[in-house]
Amino acid sequence: MKRRVFVASSMAAALAGCAKVTNGLNDWQAIHPVLETANTLDQAVIGTRGWAKLYRPQDVTVDYPVNGLDTPQQPEYVALLQDDFSSYHLPVAGLVEHPQSFTLRQLRALASLDQITRHDCVEGWSVVGDWRGVPLGSFLQLVRPKPEARYVVFYSYDHDSGGQQFYGSLDLQQAAHPQTQLALDLNGKPLDAAHGAPVRLRIPTQLGYKSTKWIRNIQVVSSFAGIFGGRGGYWEDNGYAWYAGV
Amino acid sequence: MAGMDATAGPTPAPATTRTSEPGTVVYRHSITTRLTHWVAFVSILVLVMSGLQIFNAAPYLDASDKSDPAHRVLAFDGQDAPGGGSIGTTTIFGHAFTTTHWFGYTDDGQGSEAVRAFPGWITFPGYQDLAGGRSWHFFFAWVMVLAGVAYFAAGAIRKDLALLILRPSDVPKLWPMQAYYLKLRKEPPDHGKYNPLQKAGYTLVLFVLAPFVVITGLALAPGFDAIAQPIVTLLGGRQFARTWHFVSMLLLVGFFFGHVFLVASTGLFNNMRSMITGTYRLGKHEGTGP
Repeated sequence: MKRRVFVASSMAAALAGCAKVTNGLNDWQAIHPVLETANTLDQAVIGTRGWAKLYRPQDVTVDYPVNGLDTPQQPEYVALLQDDFSSYHLPVAGLVEHPQSFTLRQLRALASLDQITRHDCVEGWSVVGDWRGVPLGSFLQLVRPKPEARYVVFYSYDHDSGGQQFYGSLDLQQAAHPQTQLALDLNGKPLDAAHGAPVRLRIPTQLGYKSTKWIRNIQVVSSFAGIFGGRGGYWEDNGYAWYAGV
Repeated sequence: MAGMDATAGPTPAPATTRTSEPGTVVYRHSITTRLTHWVAFVSILVLVMSGLQIFNAAPYLDASDKSDPAHRVLAFDGQDAPGGGSIGTTTIFGHAFTTTHWFGYTDDGQGSEAVRAFPGWITFPGYQDLAGGRSWHFFFAWVMVLAGVAYFAAGAIRKDLALLILRPSDVPKLWPMQAYYLKLRKEPPDHGKYNPLQKAGYTLVLFVLAPFVVITGLALAPGFDAIAQPIVTLLGGRQFARTWHFVSMLLLVGFFFGHVFLVASTGLFNNMRSMITGTYRLGKHEGTGP
């Protein structure tokens, strides 16, 4: 009996040592830029090309899941929600020839892209939704990005519990992919607050964390320097890869 | 090619596979083979552990395209037990097993226990960190693939990769070799550099399982799916691909343990030396040819 306890406890100690080693390696900050070279390779090899699968209406997930908080609690957003987004407008600024602000009505008039696509979450699950909205590529043509423009940054109304604003970004090529859209409707109804109302990003060729919800404003930039953590997005600033096609 | 001509000749095939006398020390593994072998060892270790870390973020597997509880083949759950404490459950094809402290409710990698599928001592990192797990997984996926390409290229150039491919002429020797391992037979059948069972195992792992684990992993990437839709369809959809990726991992881990057992039980020193310095002492009935 004593022998068994000894064997069991030394095994437990060895196993706890496993976690100590892997935790230590993961906490080693200098290794992460090395690991991220793989993401650059992934983007070079896979990129944002081809065509995400289109589904049939009967494939749609009725109870579309939501990750995290259901509704932003920021007063600015709560006020908009209360007046049913009637005063909402979406400013697009930065490195563009024609900075503009779009009302929801204007956006609805541009919402020509209705596609039933699969949404793959970074956690591993997949759902299918019918998304209707504005094709981002043609939308950006309205404001005319300047030659030095490289990225489109989407700022959200939402903040995390520490007060950090959510945001995300795509490069111009990813933004111009014909399936990338500023979504307004999900499954035939205007987006509800939980799913990103009134406007969210939808990019079916990448994982869900790239699809910024509750878009407040859009900025076209040449680099991420000076934007929060400088890695191009809230999730990216928290260790996730910028290219989420894998 | 010379070896093949010899086996096709008038002399009996078994004798020609032995090109050296037993006890001869030969140069068995090239530097590329040895290097890529150890790179693969580290890569597979990190890939399996970081893969389980990633799995923990959605601790279930479906045999479907989108997530669908009606097609769930594996699920881990943890919940509070009535009367205090917590229980971990593993559900396989609808059959629930209590696996507290092992799966479902287990080691959190930080000296305590939590609701999570795989324990911290088998994930990379030990604590729950999806972003970190993904970084390690994708980096070592590239290391593994590049090592594999180097191995295949070097083997093709040196023409010794062919020595481990199972041929029709090896098939009748599969059972005698297995019988030898089971001690039902005193002597192994005459063979070349690799015995028939090794050839079967390596052929399966290198030419079937390895490409399959890569393809099923790629099929989880939405960017890859957009350029290779038919592959995902062939696998039964994205969640099904996730299930296949997991199954191929289990098979590779099974191969790993079998491999380590055989390395240890068929002359640990000699085998390890051949994969470190390259030199190897031939056994009875063992040669260097095909």
